[in-house]
Amino acid sequence: MITTAPHLSPRRNPLLGSHPGRRLRMLLAAGIAASALSAVSPQAQAQTQVQAQATAQAQAAGAVRGAGQFTDGRTSAAGTGMRTDDGKSDDKDGADNVLTVAVSQSVDSLSPFLAQRLVSTSIHRLIYEYLTNYDPGDARPIPGLATAWSPSPDKLTWTYKIRKDSTWSDGRPVTAEDAAWTFDKMMKDPNAATANGSFTANFAAVTAPDPETLVIRLKQPQANMTALDVPIVPKHIWEKVGDFSKFNNDTRFPIVGNGPFVLTDFKVDQYIRLKPNKDFWRGAPKFDELVFRYYKDGDAAVAALRKGEVSFVPNLTPAQAASLEDAENIKVNDAPGRRFFALATNPGARAKNGGRFGSGHPALLDPVVRKALFHAVDRRTIVDKVFQGHAVEGEGYIPPRFAPYFWKPGASQRIAHDPAKAAALLDGAGYRKNADGKRMGKDGRPLDFRILCHATDPNDKAVGKYLQEWWGDLGIGLKVDCLDNVSDPWLKGDYDLAFDGWSVNPDPDFVLSIHTCSALPATPSGTGATDNFICDERFDQLYAQQAVEYDAARRGDLVRQMQSRLYDTGFMNVMVYPNALEAYRTDQIKSITTMPEAAGNLYGQDGYWSWWSAEPAAAGRAASGGGGSSAAVAIGIGVSVVLVIAVGVLTSRRRRATADDRE
Amino acid sequence: MTTSLHWARRRASVARFWRRYRTHRAGVAGLAGLTLLALVAVAAPLLVGSDVQSVTHAPGEALESPSGAFPLGTDRFGRSLLGLLVWGARISLTVGLLAAVLSVAIGTLVGIVAGHYGGWFSTVVMRITDWFLVMPTLVLAIVLATVLSRSVWTVILAIGVTTWPTTARLVRAQTIAVESRPYIERAKALGGGHRHVMTRHVLPNVMPLVLAQTTLGISTAILTEATLAFLGLGDPSVVSWGGMLQDAREAGAVSSGHWWYLAPPGIAVALVALAFTLCGRAVESVLNPRLGVAR
Repeated sequence: MITTAPHLSPRRNPLLGSHPGRRLRMLLAAGIAASALSAVSPQAQAQTQVQAQATAQAQAAGAVRGAGQFTDGRTSAAGTGMRTDDGKSDDKDGADNVLTVAVSQSVDSLSPFLAQRLVSTSIHRLIYEYLTNYDPGDARPIPGLATAWSPSPDKLTWTYKIRKDSTWSDGRPVTAEDAAWTFDKMMKDPNAATANGSFTANFAAVTAPDPETLVIRLKQPQANMTALDVPIVPKHIWEKVGDFSKFNNDTRFPIVGNGPFVLTDFKVDQYIRLKPNKDFWRGAPKFDELVFRYYKDGDAAVAALRKGEVSFVPNLTPAQAASLEDAENIKVNDAPGRRFFALATNPGARAKNGGRFGSGHPALLDPVVRKALFHAVDRRTIVDKVFQGHAVEGEGYIPPRFAPYFWKPGASQRIAHDPAKAAALLDGAGYRKNADGKRMGKDGRPLDFRILCHATDPNDKAVGKYLQEWWGDLGIGLKVDCLDNVSDPWLKGDYDLAFDGWSVNPDPDFVLSIHTCSALPATPSGTGATDNFICDERFDQLYAQQAVEYDAARRGDLVRQMQSRLYDTGFMNVMVYPNALEAYRTDQIKSITTMPEAAGNLYGQDGYWSWWSAEPAAAGRAASGGGGSSAAVAIGIGVSVVLVIAVGVLTSRRRRATADDRE
Repeated sequence: MTTSLHWARRRASVARFWRRYRTHRAGVAGLAGLTLLALVAVAAPLLVGSDVQSVTHAPGEALESPSGAFPLGTDRFGRSLLGLLVWGARISLTVGLLAAVLSVAIGTLVGIVAGHYGGWFSTVVMRITDWFLVMPTLVLAIVLATVLSRSVWTVILAIGVTTWPTTARLVRAQTIAVESRPYIERAKALGGGHRHVMTRHVLPNVMPLVLAQTTLGISTAILTEATLAFLGLGDPSVVSWGGMLQDAREAGAVSSGHWWYLAPPGIAVALVALAFTLCGRAVESVLNPRLGVAR
């Protein structure tokens, strides 16, 4: 900007200038400005991701939370530019059937010992076998690497039979020794326990008496022994790894594994390529290649789907889903999800040693205030307006999809939508409105809360707007704090309320464990696995009982009691269970298995069923996009708006340049 | 008596300014546009009422296309987009004005001080200015807006502290030019201190420049505000044009063909930026005849 203009002679108005050459230059410059504008955003995006990743790796608990909250790979806030891979085109092997999946969530690590985000753990399902898998129909444990298993009469020793027909992709056989080494490593090296340490915390010893037998001895009975979601890795590769906290398994490709796919190539935020494992014991996948390609912008991914560049797009917005319903050769899958979307209130952050920290609002420690807040929330409106019907009204903690554990409050226990009752509760408890209509707390200060919201999640912001108005009517102020990195204030306990959400596994142990006292950080400065600093004696008793209960019905009953208790404490209140909204091209994918098979999701399943089962359509990739015109029009308008803005910028810049020239 | 003479002179100079300004047709058009917009923004509570922001009392269905009831359609909550556009003008204009004023204030201060004292002090200050000048404004603003809490004031601050270097350089040059004139030397000889010279002699002489720079700065500030809000760095609880664009993007309006969600705020931003630029340009050429003959 420093004196670049060669002359100071009178100039035509650049905007109204009629000289053809100048106009051309202007257009060119406008184009450059526009591309510069869009080039900025991936940078910003990268920056926030680096931040997120750093936090994830530095703090175990933060990372665990990140895993849950990033689960549905939300459209990112700061990404307008889409990235494609570096010139490698799928068309180079035109005859091949390639299944391309659009993803937006960055991989945190390809090491199964570190990875916690949904995209990474889904990839691990595809490239490594776990001891057991989940049936796509009813999610009951079925054989994976183990063909059979049985506990000893004292419930403390589990014996697994390891299958003989599984080989690593480098040709070596898979033995019980690999599994024993994997678990042993997690037990002995804290750096290897980052991602899945909760499974092995109660293990006493793991041995492999022969190549087909794995024996796990427990300190105490453990109910989730048939749902150990731990990828088994090849010992002969991984025993060479030095520092497990730093090794991300992304230096040598293909990655040696034994799942239905083999990971052949990976570029951060560009693509993940997988080839089918032809020797996979359950049968080889039908597609010739599976590619997860990054689209940081949801609109770009949908446009690519319309054009047939990608076969599958997850995490659609309701508007996108509605417009894709009419599109040719595209099927929209709207299925009950495995997530819950909840409001968490800070119960007064504390550590195991009793140290209190954080800045939670003292009024929220009063159960009446919490109850009043939840009474004022209209879940029906959230489902109808924010999720446009693509969600189910929240009840208990675990989504209805997991029927054995689903619980909902009875009529007397239920905190239903009732603003009048909310106001009456507050009045009765002494929180009266002052002259300005603001509720006053016991300490004489008005009730003004903050809510921690994920800047990357449009739903957080949208629900926040409704909460502001509902609670505003009650006389309670709400400040919506939307941050890219919510982990820092969260771990420090610096929040009053927060939007919370987790993907629930078929075995609920993990999502329950994060509300026990033992998950609290050891000291105020430490980090624990805790989600919301909840520490309730009764809840902990029930948790301990269910953890050792091998009878499914009795365990289900205990888990329901735990949810009832959690509901009554009022520190967590589930607003909705969001649906999985996803779409795929029927002219590229002939059939694909949802989980559960009846009405289930495809992306982020508990098993590898969707991508393993997907069958290519005969037409292959030749199909052209139907219904792309309206998107093209919209994108055209968007581009022209950017251009108009760019011209504006340019004009002002040029004027400033002349200003710089003076004196 | 001196005062009345003073005022008479001022009146005359304002009249002279307006006579010259009137000859710039683009400038007059820009001014007319701005006046209209300012009126709309000020009268927004009467025109649309603050209820237009309410999501719980939204009158329409989500994402309705333009109709008689909703001339620009509705947003994802069923609110009238025309109402939001009118309401959003308030934030966009306020932020634009305040950020430009802040930026120009910092720039003027730095410029005058550097130009007045000169020497090594000036060199150090101007190197700092150069450092800010080569920093990409948008990236720096994004970093600031990310680190600080989300609010309108953060955005104003982020824009203000990142866009001042141009003004600083400009004002410093003008300061040096003014201070080389004989009457400054006379003022110094009569015992005028640094403060006296800077505030009584230099500042009034750089004011026209500062004024023109502010007008031009506003359009940049409005665009930057819209960009930051579009990137999701604004305050989500206030309605602004950039925020509307961001909402549209988050709702997937681009790929689902809801153009009416995107186009109006984008065009509004472009038009306001254009109007300010036209005004600023006219002011600049009136105040500085060397820029060219009046058109």
